[in-house]
Amino acid sequence: MSTRARVVQMETPAATGGNALLILVGLGVAFLLITALLGAAKTGGPLFNESNLLYVALIFYAGAGALYMGFGVTGVSKYVKVASIATAIGFTANTLAVAHRWYMAGRPPFASIYEMLLSFVWTVAALTLVTEKKLGVKIIGSITMPLAVVCVILMQLLPSEVRPLVPALQSTWLHVHVTLAMLSYAACAVSFALALMFLIKDHFPTETFLALTSGLVSAIYIAIVATRFEKWGGLSVTAWDAKDKSDMFLGRGVRLFVTVPDLGWLFVMAGLAALVPLGFYFIARVQKNESFIGIANKAIFIGVLLQVIVLAAFVLRARDASYASPFQEGLYPTSLAASPFILGGLICGVFASLLYLMLLWRRTDLEALLPSAETLDRVTYKTICVAFPLLTGMIAAGAYWANRTWGSYWSWDPKETWAAITWLVYAGYLHMRVTRGWRGRRAAYFAILGFGIVIFTFLGVTYLLPGLHAYA
Amino acid sequence: MAFNLPSITKRLYKTLANLRTGIVLLILVGIAAALGTIILQRPVTEADQLARTYSPTTLQLLDRLTLTDVFHSWWFLTLLTLLSMSIVFVSVDRFPNAWRFYARPYRKTDSHFRAANPVKVELPIRNASDGINTAERVMMKLGWPVERISDGNQVSLYSERHRFSVMAVYLIHASLLLIFLGGIIDGIFGYSGYLMLQKGQTGNVIETRTGAKKTLPFGVKCYSAGQENYADGSPKKWWSNLAVVENGKEVKKKEIVVNDPLVYRGLRFYQASYGMTGALDALKVVATPEGGAGREVILQMGEPFDLDSNTSVTVAEFIPDFFIRDNQVFKKSDNPENPAFRLQIKNKAGGEDAVQWIFPAYNEASQGQKSNYTFQFRGMQMGYFTGLEVSHEPGQWLVWAGCVLMGFGLFVAFYMVHMRLWVVAIPDAKGKLVLWIGGQANKNKDRFEQKFKDVVEGIRTELESASTTPRSAHKDEPELTLAAAK
Repeated sequence: MSTRARVVQMETPAATGGNALLILVGLGVAFLLITALLGAAKTGGPLFNESNLLYVALIFYAGAGALYMGFGVTGVSKYVKVASIATAIGFTANTLAVAHRWYMAGRPPFASIYEMLLSFVWTVAALTLVTEKKLGVKIIGSITMPLAVVCVILMQLLPSEVRPLVPALQSTWLHVHVTLAMLSYAACAVSFALALMFLIKDHFPTETFLALTSGLVSAIYIAIVATRFEKWGGLSVTAWDAKDKSDMFLGRGVRLFVTVPDLGWLFVMAGLAALVPLGFYFIARVQKNESFIGIANKAIFIGVLLQVIVLAAFVLRARDASYASPFQEGLYPTSLAASPFILGGLICGVFASLLYLMLLWRRTDLEALLPSAETLDRVTYKTICVAFPLLTGMIAAGAYWANRTWGSYWSWDPKETWAAITWLVYAGYLHMRVTRGWRGRRAAYFAILGFGIVIFTFLGVTYLLPGLHAYA
Repeated sequence: MAFNLPSITKRLYKTLANLRTGIVLLILVGIAAALGTIILQRPVTEADQLARTYSPTTLQLLDRLTLTDVFHSWWFLTLLTLLSMSIVFVSVDRFPNAWRFYARPYRKTDSHFRAANPVKVELPIRNASDGINTAERVMMKLGWPVERISDGNQVSLYSERHRFSVMAVYLIHASLLLIFLGGIIDGIFGYSGYLMLQKGQTGNVIETRTGAKKTLPFGVKCYSAGQENYADGSPKKWWSNLAVVENGKEVKKKEIVVNDPLVYRGLRFYQASYGMTGALDALKVVATPEGGAGREVILQMGEPFDLDSNTSVTVAEFIPDFFIRDNQVFKKSDNPENPAFRLQIKNKAGGEDAVQWIFPAYNEASQGQKSNYTFQFRGMQMGYFTGLEVSHEPGQWLVWAGCVLMGFGLFVAFYMVHMRLWVVAIPDAKGKLVLWIGGQANKNKDRFEQKFKDVVEGIRTELESASTTPRSAHKDEPELTLAAAK
């Protein structure tokens, strides 16, 4: 009952404040569009090319994300209407970008990690619209749109020129394989978002979300610091060859790193700040004293500020500057394009923390906006029922293609193996659900774990584990 | 009797037939596979990379634990075997029940079932047979196949769709086993190797991954091979013109490219690599006789070429990258960047033989011993080889069959809903005659409820239009009770 009361309360101030966000986002979108237009007019290049279209998509996705999150916070239903229009416009621009690239390359855009992200974002946007319109989960955009924005930003940094297909990739089975992969991965992403919403609706304790957010963010920073921290507090980034648009190499497969001085300490600090809430959470658990949770929440807030500072410092210092390398004499340039995954990790951290703050401050309203926990649970299951056959088809098509190209359908290459592990996780989920009647939380954990493994298979394996899947 | 064999087998069966064991095995296989991707694996890694990555003691430990070759280790294969056995046993364990359900559908409802079934409606009727007939008509019209079940003097209706979907899960498990079986057959009877052929060469001995040689029952001849490039120089296409030679006869010809192998008697030949052999294939020169006009000739390595009736020339030696010391020509490397050619000029009319050298990087004209011909370098053609990956996978058809079957099974299991409807005329709690309509679906329950509603509404309208008397007691009208089971 209290939930209902709060909603009523919330809607009165929102009615006046409601237009403010709309105007703000509208102005922001208009401003960015006009600057982009002026920029394009100045250079005199063609207006409707892929990168411009993608930029338009990025602007509208970002606007939609802001509005979806605004809806999550205030519950003004107007926001969702405008947000889904923005999503639809972004989606149209995205579709045109895909079409343009397809036309220019004369083949479907599935050949590099850039092109796969392009298709992935497209599918995520499409599924967001479908989930919102057909299944009535209106708030899903507040998770999937930031995801789309992170992907599009990553794409701006990845080498994007149309490369001709090397012989092994000239196969119809490649298109089948990658289409199925993108469809199933996007379905997994949606099931992940739905599972998170289920947990919110299911009164999953806010402080556990706190611990998870803090854990995720500190894991990102620990991973970066562990691999990139240099002596005297520097941070290693890959050197970037602006002319060739590629990383610089010392030898075959050995990248040349340069050290950005002092940045390492900043990362260590932000990482520690991200760990603090987790620490307070454990103290609160051990001492059974809830007041520590309050401190932890304040610490998260400070952590977000620090993360934003780190992000800004990283963008400023690792963008188009030259630094010394510990491996070879001389100064070498670097660029944001050389470290897309550090940047991606940082942005993910900020988004995760912001989503947590949104949850912390507006939980009751959020819950009131979501469909019933039962519906969310069922829809999550249905999404996985879509994802799983697609995943199976993807593996089978990939095996068939490998057999035509290398003469063996299964060679335990890391990407293959991790695709199989993803398959096993979802197979486990389905078995537990159908035969053991797993519903609710346990099923949601499984859906979240499944998506984590999908992300690892998609991006982690490509960059961390060596193998045959050299293309993407 | 601790070692009672039947009881041990029985317990093993019971353990493996438990779904929980299956899930644990699933998790173990997942962990093992993940380990195999994180730790460098010997079959796909160069030895010195392993040595660079791990310290000798770590490497020794990893080797002893067979963690450097997880996917061929006995324990991984055991895990896979146990998992397959678990799939079989769980399926076998559950099959009889499922089969009973499938083979003997529950057609006739009893009062307990009617009370417990959540999706049901009661419509008031006057006459049992009229009500049943109306319901049958409506259901037929809506596309439900109706069965009349008569039990003594009572007639009831039963209808169902997609009953086979309850068996789909067995189809999926069977398809998985089919895939495993294909993999096992390939593991035992299959082999693969590498065959390197130069232009014009025929080969039938392949080198397997372990370095062993294997002789094929027929030979493969390479007529030609080549590479096409994109404008930016990256490779666009590799191709080889191959022919199968069996008992001295050519039985099959095909041009293979990277994604399109040659298949003959279960053996597949894939275009795997392409490159220079380091040897010379042909040399193009202009041969000029003393006081005469020159003409362009192509000299094959080692084959004498008749320039006129008395003189022949042979490319006797090719050095891809030369240097000179003490007036001798030596080889520096295998890169054909700075080649040298030794020409042997024979005079059949009794004159002296001559040796001339061509060093194109310095001088296009030949130099050396005097002869009645001089030679100008015009170009050279390096010898190329084509690398063929040869594989024999007799089990692969089982794997593909399994994949197709699994796709079909998954489709049926996820998207075909087993729906059942029962209609029976019974007295309700107050003793009034009603038409009891109940339904069940094994998944996608909300969609089924919509379909159920359609049927009920259809029957209700038919019943109302059939009765001439206007509806009087409005509040007697039954409510749809569609509360899903919690």
